[in-house]
Amino acid sequence: MKFKDYYETLGLQRTATQDEVKQAYRKLARKFHPDVSKETDAEARFKEVGEAYEVLKDPEKRAAYDRVGADSRGGWKGGQDFQPPPGWDEGFEFSGPGTWGSPESGVGEGQFGANPSDFFEALFGQHARQARAQRRTAQARGQDHHAKILIELEDAYKGARRSIGLHFPVVDEQGRVTTQERTLDVTIPKGIREGQHLRLTGQGEAGGPDGKPGDLYLEIGFKPHPLFHVDGGDVYLDLPVAPWEAALGATVNAPTPEGSVKLNIPAGTVAGRKLRLKGKGIPGKTPGDLYVTLAITLPPAQTEAAREAYRAMAKGFDFNPRTHLEGASS
Amino acid sequence: MSTHTYLQGLVVEEEIHLSLSELCQACRAREEQINAWVMEGVLEPVGDNPQDWRFAGHSLRRARLALRLAHDLEVNTAGVALALDLMDEIAALKAQLRRLPARV
Repeated sequence: MKFKDYYETLGLQRTATQDEVKQAYRKLARKFHPDVSKETDAEARFKEVGEAYEVLKDPEKRAAYDRVGADSRGGWKGGQDFQPPPGWDEGFEFSGPGTWGSPESGVGEGQFGANPSDFFEALFGQHARQARAQRRTAQARGQDHHAKILIELEDAYKGARRSIGLHFPVVDEQGRVTTQERTLDVTIPKGIREGQHLRLTGQGEAGGPDGKPGDLYLEIGFKPHPLFHVDGGDVYLDLPVAPWEAALGATVNAPTPEGSVKLNIPAGTVAGRKLRLKGKGIPGKTPGDLYVTLAITLPPAQTEAAREAYRAMAKGFDFNPRTHLEGASS
Repeated sequence: MSTHTYLQGLVVEEEIHLSLSELCQACRAREEQINAWVMEGVLEPVGDNPQDWRFAGHSLRRARLALRLAHDLEVNTAGVALALDLMDEIAALKAQLRRLPARV
């Protein structure tokens, strides 16, 4: 296990006030929150920032952490191998319930809460386990679970039956969390869109002795597709066309998630033109559209014949694509 | 061939309306929290009083997002409402942008 320097994660000195801790967290949380962030590693960064704040915002946890961190040899550094010394938390009393994974916190749940690090578990796990174990006995109905699954775009067009592997946390009677795996056979309904949820009744957490199990909500996402890009019910395709097809018009084959279609390229097409195939997006009450963006692709001039064809073009046209730039530079 | 049963789910956004308690259960939110968002216009259920409220399916995603923002960014109710409005607007603008012809 590696020591985590929570102060470093938040960019703080060890002497930071509670207000400074809060400010630093809020700034970083806004930067890395996966719902609002454009950073590529937002999810992982946000998790680290959230864990650091979970400890440093709570004066009791912070004091306990400081005691572990302030080693006589000059203190631990982030990334060093670490084992909590025996009895490290002796004399510390944690008053409130640990918020990690509590119903109010939203942490430890959902898409990016996931699980705290080993380091956090080693230091504060026992405390959090007690909180979880207490909650467990009080509840009759099992909790609802959420999971995100990725399907093929084609499955949304046609509907499908899929076996899906899910990892889910199980809390035992001592409040320990372990991850278990199960396979779920699910019908993917035709017309499902990205971001929509499937509710599977009774597939959530098991209930108490007299309680019903919770439900499982599956959030649908599409696997990246080599050809198509999806936005709601609409599907986008970039289609290369030859210059003469664009200039003179042509009928070409275009792939769609339902198979190939004949597409009319109008004469005089310019690069970037979008053609809309109405109703050829994801099906549904209001079916989406398929947008085809035409990209004019030049043939390579690698043979003498090809070069000759380009020269013939140059002769055949009185064409200067830069007329509108002339006079702009003196 | 074995007879294999495949679970049939309901598409929350299209086939389900949620009651207040179902929504609370599904997002692990307290009723007061959902109430506050309704008052702020973040969620717009049909029905006159909380016992009769029916939330359209898309409220699930919205409520979960609101909950994450409220917790993770420590944003208050009005701040969550503002953030969600702006996020909706950005999504609408991006969608509009994608439909425009590409600029050369």
